[in-house]
Amino acid sequence: MKNDILFKLSFLISRLIYLIVRKMGKKGTALPGKIAMKIKPDILNDLSSRCDNIAIVSGTNGKTTTNNLSNHIFKGKDFKVLSNLNGSNMIQGVISPFIIDKKKHYDWGIFEVDEGSMPVINKYMVPDYIILTNFFRDQLDRYGEVEKVIKTVYDSIKHESTTLILNGDSPTSLYFDDLKNSKIYYSLEKTKFSRDDETSAESVTCPKCNNKLNYEYITYGNIGKYYCLKCGVKNPKPHYVISKTELKDNLYDFTVCDKYGSSKIKLGLLGIYNLYNVLGAISLARENNFSYDLIKKQIENFEFKEGRMEIINTSSSKVILGLTKNPIGLSEILSIIWADNSKKSVMFVLNDYAPDGRDISWIWDVFIKENNDFSNIDKFFCVGTRAEEIALRLKYIDFPEEKLVIYHSKDRYDIEEPILTIISQNNKNYILGTFTAMPEAKKIIMKIKKEESL
Amino acid sequence: MKMELNIVDFYSDVLNIYGDIGNLLCLKKRCQWRDITINQKCFSIGEDIDLDYEDTDLILIGGGSDRNQEAIANNFLNQRKYIDSYLDNDGVLLAVCGSYQMFGNNFKNIDGMDINCLEIFDMETIISKDRLIGDIILNSNIELGNDKIVGFENHGGNSYHDYNTLGIVDIGFGNNKDAVDEGLVFKNFIGTYLHGPLLPKNPHLADYLILSALKNKYEISSLSPLDDSIESKAHDFMVNKYLS
Ligand SMILES: [Zn+2]
Repeated sequence: MKNDILFKLSFLISRLIYLIVRKMGKKGTALPGKIAMKIKPDILNDLSSRCDNIAIVSGTNGKTTTNNLSNHIFKGKDFKVLSNLNGSNMIQGVISPFIIDKKKHYDWGIFEVDEGSMPVINKYMVPDYIILTNFFRDQLDRYGEVEKVIKTVYDSIKHESTTLILNGDSPTSLYFDDLKNSKIYYSLEKTKFSRDDETSAESVTCPKCNNKLNYEYITYGNIGKYYCLKCGVKNPKPHYVISKTELKDNLYDFTVCDKYGSSKIKLGLLGIYNLYNVLGAISLARENNFSYDLIKKQIENFEFKEGRMEIINTSSSKVILGLTKNPIGLSEILSIIWADNSKKSVMFVLNDYAPDGRDISWIWDVFIKENNDFSNIDKFFCVGTRAEEIALRLKYIDFPEEKLVIYHSKDRYDIEEPILTIISQNNKNYILGTFTAMPEAKKIIMKIKKEESL
Repeated sequence: MKMELNIVDFYSDVLNIYGDIGNLLCLKKRCQWRDITINQKCFSIGEDIDLDYEDTDLILIGGGSDRNQEAIANNFLNQRKYIDSYLDNDGVLLAVCGSYQMFGNNFKNIDGMDINCLEIFDMETIISKDRLIGDIILNSNIELGNDKIVGFENHGGNSYHDYNTLGIVDIGFGNNKDAVDEGLVFKNFIGTYLHGPLLPKNPHLADYLILSALKNKYEISSLSPLDDSIESKAHDFMVNKYLS
């Protein structure tokens, strides 16, 4: 009884504060959860029982996209689905949607969860599925980080009833091999964009025997068809496979298949990593008896709002925004930019505040293939508190120096001038940046847009 | 006659945690821009390469995570006597972070366990719980034409030795938490905790390595100058941020 009263109190107060904060025009996506937890630390326990089924998405890259896609597919079946779609992925971010949405019952709760928050989340909810996208090192204090992160996630999986949906092309999935949980693997067959050389943007040794891992091909990062000469380990047999991938008019055209069916689907999210995100979402849906017709329909009408690459059109310019937080993410975004043969300019805002990583050496771990054609890039703006470092990095891939514009920012807010310049000069611009840079960049572009409409 | 350098990067496919691959790229480009032919080879675990040390002009070794350092350890230890004589014969070698530690007598890891090392230098390394992390600026002990060496350090290892060092620490930690200097210099060996990566932002040090390697083969006293305005911008920004 006491538990019940505390729960109601916690729910009501946090909801009230949410309403007040919203009236004041603030977003505060994690705040309601934070307050609710202050009053009842285990409130997620009570809340999660409102969901008949629960799926969690974790891993280094691709959580937000996989989560949004899954949510969208599941909503296509008229399910009541609750998710933290905006990327707020610590425990507060998982609790908040319950308080904001306030329904008493959901068919599905699908949440993205930060790797570091997996232990606490799994303490309070019993997921039916856990999708693990991949494990790369993030740029933040990376020493030994990946193995530690994997161990944290591994240790957090407490219930054998949870089905693990794993990236079969990521060698790090092997670390979960000895868990008794049933495992579903997804895989992408070799594409035109895969690389035959073994230069990985990410060094990996064999999870089984710590020998060097060899690759037949690498799709990106450390993901691809691998094998170990010492212990013989190789990719597990996948349940869901994407094959025949083509890129046409900024759309991926691919075939996905499993034991029971297949479908040809078009995906409007650029970046080869998005095929893996789609695979994670498809695996979850197919495991729950979704028809390929419905999956195809939902994927093809999916509009991504909070993505890595967000497009904002001002009156004179199409601006594509991309958050980059680690070498692999940036490698992939750059390969999209090099492959885009329309005339454009590019800006990279590199900051070195704590959330960005004080250490900027990670930009040298970005995989950039040699002999790129830069003729379609008008200017490359190097901006941020470490602007010079971008210019230096580009110089060493033979990027033409006369196309470099270095604008050193005094602080994270000092990026308006280069953004105004780039937008006024070109009608297509990519603006990339680190964690503290992107919110500022977006704010400035939205301001420009607003002033235009006046 | 066109000059030629044989660079061997050790374990770059396993040890490249802090952009160390940038050191290799830097040396390669700075040679190419001067029309010096570069032959580059990766020496690593998992394949049997008999490395011809006599035909090697410059060796680079980076740093990795504990697990990755462990992965290369045996292979590396087997190279001990070759590397030792390579260094005695004035071979040029740059070792960063975890690999720098490996050149000492031993190091104690975080659990107090002794890890076997190459025992080429009388150096002890003890891993402490508190890592030494941050920007670092040195006053170079080597004649480089620019006094300052800038970089970033992130190491749990505290190294102690009596050899010459790479530089006196202006900003940051250095060899250990109480150190006044950083790195180890012996003949043409440079060991250091600096990454960032080290060479692109310190082109004077990169050129020093290239010149040292060329001097072992050719009658040469200087390199043709390059336009280093971007390099200088990145280097000077760090110096000015902390020292002006
Ligand atoms: Zn193995």
